[in-house]
Amino acid sequence: MGLLELRDISMIYGNVKALQDIQLTVRQGEWLAIMGPSGSGKTTLMNIIGCMDKATSGSIVLDGLDLSALDSKSLTAIRRDKIGLVFQQFHLIPYLTALENVMVAQYYHSLPDEQEAMAALARVGLQERARHLPSQLSGGEQQRVCIARALINYPMLILADEPTGNLDEANESIVLGIFEQLHREGHTIITVTHDPEVAELAERCIVLEHGRIADERKHKSVVREEKGA
Amino acid sequence: MFWQMLIGALVRQRRRMFMIALTVALGTSLTTAMLNVMLDVGDKVNRELKAYGANITVVPKAASVLRDLYGIEANSGASAQYLAEADLGKLKTIFWAHNIVTFAPFLETKAVLGQGSDEVVLVGTWFDRSLELPTGEVAETGIKPLKSWWQVEGDWVQDNDSEGAMIGSQLAGKLGLKTGDDLDITVAGGEGKERLKIRGIVNSGSAEDDQVFVPLSVAQKAMNLAGKVGRVEVSAITTPENELARRAAHNPKSLSLKEWETWYCTAYVSAIAYQIEEAVGGSRAKPIRQVAESEGVILQKTQLLMLLITVLSLIGSALGISNLLIAGVMERSKEIGLLKALGATDAVILWQNLAEAVTTGIMGGAIGYFCGLGFAQMIGRSVFGSAVAINTMVIPLVIVLVILVILAGSIPAVRMLLSLRPAEVLHGR
Amino acid sequence: MTKYSMYSKMIIHALLRRRSRMIVALLAIAVGATVLSGLITIYYDVPRQMGREFRSYGANLVFIPAGSSQALAEQDIDRAAGLLPRDKVIGIAPYLYERVKVNEQPIMAAGTKFQEVKKVSPYWQIRGKWPAEKSSGVVIGQEVAEFLKVEPGQSITLAAGDGTEQKVTVEGIVRTGGNEENFVFVDLPLLQKMLKKEGQISVGQVSIMATEAELAALSKNVETQVTGVSPRLVKRVTQSEGMVLGKLQALVYLVTIIILLLTLICAATTMMAVVTERRKEIGLKKALGAENRSIILEFLGEGLALGGLGGIIGTVLGFFFAQAVSINVFGRAIDFQPFIALVAFVVSITVSGVACMIPVKIATDVEPAIVLRGE
Repeated sequence: MGLLELRDISMIYGNVKALQDIQLTVRQGEWLAIMGPSGSGKTTLMNIIGCMDKATSGSIVLDGLDLSALDSKSLTAIRRDKIGLVFQQFHLIPYLTALENVMVAQYYHSLPDEQEAMAALARVGLQERARHLPSQLSGGEQQRVCIARALINYPMLILADEPTGNLDEANESIVLGIFEQLHREGHTIITVTHDPEVAELAERCIVLEHGRIADERKHKSVVREEKGA
Repeated sequence: MFWQMLIGALVRQRRRMFMIALTVALGTSLTTAMLNVMLDVGDKVNRELKAYGANITVVPKAASVLRDLYGIEANSGASAQYLAEADLGKLKTIFWAHNIVTFAPFLETKAVLGQGSDEVVLVGTWFDRSLELPTGEVAETGIKPLKSWWQVEGDWVQDNDSEGAMIGSQLAGKLGLKTGDDLDITVAGGEGKERLKIRGIVNSGSAEDDQVFVPLSVAQKAMNLAGKVGRVEVSAITTPENELARRAAHNPKSLSLKEWETWYCTAYVSAIAYQIEEAVGGSRAKPIRQVAESEGVILQKTQLLMLLITVLSLIGSALGISNLLIAGVMERSKEIGLLKALGATDAVILWQNLAEAVTTGIMGGAIGYFCGLGFAQMIGRSVFGSAVAINTMVIPLVIVLVILVILAGSIPAVRMLLSLRPAEVLHGR
Repeated sequence: MTKYSMYSKMIIHALLRRRSRMIVALLAIAVGATVLSGLITIYYDVPRQMGREFRSYGANLVFIPAGSSQALAEQDIDRAAGLLPRDKVIGIAPYLYERVKVNEQPIMAAGTKFQEVKKVSPYWQIRGKWPAEKSSGVVIGQEVAEFLKVEPGQSITLAAGDGTEQKVTVEGIVRTGGNEENFVFVDLPLLQKMLKKEGQISVGQVSIMATEAELAALSKNVETQVTGVSPRLVKRVTQSEGMVLGKLQALVYLVTIIILLLTLICAATTMMAVVTERRKEIGLKKALGAENRSIILEFLGEGLALGGLGGIIGTVLGFFFAQAVSINVFGRAIDFQPFIALVAFVVSITVSGVACMIPVKIATDVEPAIVLRGE
């Protein structure tokens, strides 16, 4: 049984069928990439997996828990405790430092811990920039802070929506390097991307088209994983 | 292109436009209401102060008639002279006729009541007369409108009632008289008794409570002074005295021609008194300082108070509006960044913002103006029972203020945003 | 670090590191609080200050002899005066009236205390000067002056009914347009001595700051406690004063309400605009797993902090404004009213808090995905 199981997931807005009958299983420690052109429903799918939106029909089970049966408040709790989010827009609170931004995630979860937050920043190579405001950080640095924030509460699942979409090449390599590191450490990662090169880094890739899974590919990294599993 | 963008912007951003229009409407309505009330309050309070009764007394020029004070006896002086009753109508033909609210004539003498030998003061007057003027207007005169603080038990005497009388409460108390009782009057130096009926009892809290009041014609007949009046009390709406007025009051001839014209054409109590002397033959008109001075003081203070409150409200609403505009412009940082990235110049962005603000400002301002008039009327009716005069001078003032405030609110914020680099704003820093 | 210190940190940084927004919001609250505190202070102060001005109309209460007597004992007046609240009494002027002869002409003389007359009847206009106390200087009315053809500085001789004569100096001539112009005003003890009526007066005029109702109560008190004195309200003065003062207060009240309403709406909308700008932040926090309650409490904290600071600033400024008004209009200072300050402070905090909460509540009800997606 996978960490995450989606059965017959559909999302309908009025007349628009954003997602139709999605079946998906994600194993623990797997790195899945979701690809597709814009409008294919990939962001919608990510929002559903990330407990930020509720599907119109179908079931979604995370670590044995049926998310479709939960109310808004419980979904918030799941999001807080079990999922780490990284956005394309690297949303950071503009008036808090990098360190404080990471501590905010701790604050809502349990208790803010400055040392742990510092350690998280160190893992993404930003301990020197801990006291800087987002306006003083480059795009890549901001995204890395987001990653550190996503990891701080030891989430079960890391969701990244176009994590390198707004970054230049140099920063893109750095960030992707961090994701590879996380994969090696055994984290479960789902990345949504339109960039095939980014998708290639993942073990498996599903392609969405008009709200349906049109294709599924396995990459060479699968081989590595099966050996070590 | 500019207009398309402008209209597009206005339509799409309804919520924000609505907020700006609302705030401008609020500020405008407040300004309009306060300015209209402030400009009219002087007149309104002045009318209310007429409750204190006469502020001008008109006596025959050569008279030296001594008066009573709180029911103490007095003698009439030598060779008392009189004013003509027929001249009273002329009071409403002077330059400041419109400011004369009401007046009443008096003809006083001593009389003995019933069998007693004590003398009381008998006053012949008008009670409540509608006087027809040469202009066709009708003026309400007499002691009923003049002495509003009188409390009457029973009825007022009608002016054509040749047997009616009203008696002061103190006197009635001493003699044990009630409404409906008969009253025998023998006028000093007159012929025989008159029998009158007490129609009502007067409670005034002053010397009048010891006097007897009869219609003027009755007193004139008893004293054999047909068509004559001893003095007239006038209640007029006046402008508070200033240095010019005081100099004129002392000696009108000491003024230059221009000063004299200014004084004559302003409703100073001394100017009105002067004009009354011109109208009523052989008269001397004196301001009753107790009333005239106090009116002036209270009027000035009320107007100053209202002025300061208005200033506070104007500053408050100006700050409020410009503040809200700044907050609104701050919200638009992303859009401005985008426009700049697209190549818009600073000037274009500035003008676009101003144009939006001014357009919504005009809409909000128009609505606010009429709401403000509504507020002013509400105040006028609730407090004074009359409508507040709508002063058209307020309109340009309000327009100027609103424009100034919109400029003050939009420009600093936009200037601040113009200094941002597009990349910063677009990428959410 | 504890949760509370993180909470405070977030609020403080939200305010201090977003200085321009904070200043805008603070200014809005401060303006509202200033207007509130200033106008309410003025409203409560107007009756007292204006009431004081109305005393320029003269006596509003007179003491006359009770029953059919024509004379009052001076000591009775003093006892009656003792029953009146000292701090509200402007002055008490005694008058003794008697007919005297000047150059064989009958004239009314009034014995009085000039110091008190100045206080009770401030509208007297004196040409010349007021006589010194306990002197033989007199003030004569305009009519009398014209009648006798006398100027200030000249002397006249008063003759009582029994032939006693007293030479006096005309120090000043009084103009009022009223009855006073027909009298000769003499220092009270001097006239009493001349008429052999020591300790006697005819009437006492009182100028006291009191409403009609208060005067009625005081009169009743005097009537029952001091026999011989019959107090009468001068209706012309008291009634008119009550009515005009009532209208003035109603005017200030209505004006205050309208100004307040509009100013507070302005402040509230400004606060709301400043908070609305942060919808993305709210969406982000929800995405991070914050509960609605937490987010609302954070913004509430900011709102209360701003409201508190703005409230203090506004309350102080409002008091200074009211003080400026009082000094410029009435020439008197006002005391600081802690109650009004408290009300202004509390209202500022409440308005600020509520104005923060409304947009936050709306934003937290929206799914974070929508907020984060839509720019």
